[in-house]
Amino acid sequence: MLKSKKFFKMAFATTMAAMVLAGCGDDKTDENIDVLAQIKEEKKIVYGVKYDTRLFGLKNPSTGDVEGFDIDISKALTEEMFGDDVKPEFQEVTSKTRVGLLNNNKIDAVIATMTINEDRKKEVDFTDVYFDAGQSLLVKKGSKVQGIKDLKKGTKVLAVKGSTSAVNIRENAPETEVLEFENYAEAFTALKSGKGDALTTDDSILYGMAEEDPSFELVGGTFTEEPYGIAVKKGNQELVDELNKALQSLKDSGEYDEIKDKWIKK
Amino acid sequence: MDFLAPFIEVLTPDNMKFLLEGFWVTLKVAAISIVLSFIIGGLIGILRYAKIPVVSQLLAVVVETIRNLPLLLIIFFTYFALPEVGIDMEIITAAIVALTIFESAMLSEIIRSGLNSIHKGQIEAGRSSGLNYIQTLRYIVMPQALRRMVPPLVSQFISLLKDTSLAVVIALPDLLHNAQILYAQNGSNVIPIFIIVALMYFIVNYALSLIAKRLELKQA
Repeated sequence: MLKSKKFFKMAFATTMAAMVLAGCGDDKTDENIDVLAQIKEEKKIVYGVKYDTRLFGLKNPSTGDVEGFDIDISKALTEEMFGDDVKPEFQEVTSKTRVGLLNNNKIDAVIATMTINEDRKKEVDFTDVYFDAGQSLLVKKGSKVQGIKDLKKGTKVLAVKGSTSAVNIRENAPETEVLEFENYAEAFTALKSGKGDALTTDDSILYGMAEEDPSFELVGGTFTEEPYGIAVKKGNQELVDELNKALQSLKDSGEYDEIKDKWIKK
Repeated sequence: MDFLAPFIEVLTPDNMKFLLEGFWVTLKVAAISIVLSFIIGGLIGILRYAKIPVVSQLLAVVVETIRNLPLLLIIFFTYFALPEVGIDMEIITAAIVALTIFESAMLSEIIRSGLNSIHKGQIEAGRSSGLNYIQTLRYIVMPQALRRMVPPLVSQFISLLKDTSLAVVIALPDLLHNAQILYAQNGSNVIPIFIIVALMYFIVNYALSLIAKRLELKQA
């Protein structure tokens, strides 16, 4: 009995020592890293973007490039902030990985259709709003669902995992059943094959789907506000300020509207 | 031939190249993980079989822990938790490490039970004919046990190859990941792409099964 107690004490002490030793001495994962200084030093800024979302960030299999509103905004912001000194690079993130990657310093900023909300503000720092989306509904033309009030008991709504839209629809239409899918393409396919009465997410993404298949339409307007922000690791106010300044001058110069008109057609 | 039309539309050279790039990543990750986990799992299996005091018990605890966790959790852990203690890995390395950790535990159990299935009399016979313990394992037990292990080993390799697709959650650019990007371009592509992807997985895995069958026949 005594022996085993001693063994556990030893094991515990060794584990703690190993954890303490591993905790220090590393450079990249240090808690308080100055991201802005690192960007300038390495002459590159790594943006976390979506690779699978039409209009915002979608990889083109022919060229290998990622294309979309988020990508063009990232490039314009980088040029505005650093001129030609710093090169923008892109790394794929998903709704599940983007915060973890920021905190591990694998990416410098997230521009990936990320809605600013209070919960997320506890984990990351956000810039000003760079895109105003609002949640809406996509239905087959002629559907009996014409707005959020029609989502009564017995209806099914399709949403995407890890996004705010699934949470919002449960609040706004508590009686409806919500089915969550891995990504937008799968949710849209489910809608087409009649797995649900409506698909809900940000209107900006739904417009892309309605454009792809005109037998679907948006109904009922928007019932939430989904302000997209650029997220950076907590404690990097300087970088947030730089991004905000650059965003404002893109808006002032009209370049922002040009990029927006290129991708988002209402 | 109307049902072929969506396939022809999807199967452009660019799209095929993109899918094959993903498939190459899948195969690479699977192959490296298979080799590594076979070596590590083999060692663990033999060490546990040999019942070395403390070592065997410790390994038993480790194997049982890993074997009873979902692979998805291990993938998240290697990619997000290990950097916290200073081990920083690329996506592809993290995927290989996670798969190797999990599959080593699975394979070690197959190897251990294969060794256990050999009758004690074989060891006793080996020892009394003058071979030492290691030699008995190497020349008497192993050859017989391996033959029995081939079917479960190969089915574990096949599930490893399919399990690589779980690493989509950390955005490993594998076959399934690239397929998702392809059908995100155009929603009507979903079903043809699913079928093509299924075919690709099937061809490789079926080839593995055939090899296993031949190995069994050869040894019988």
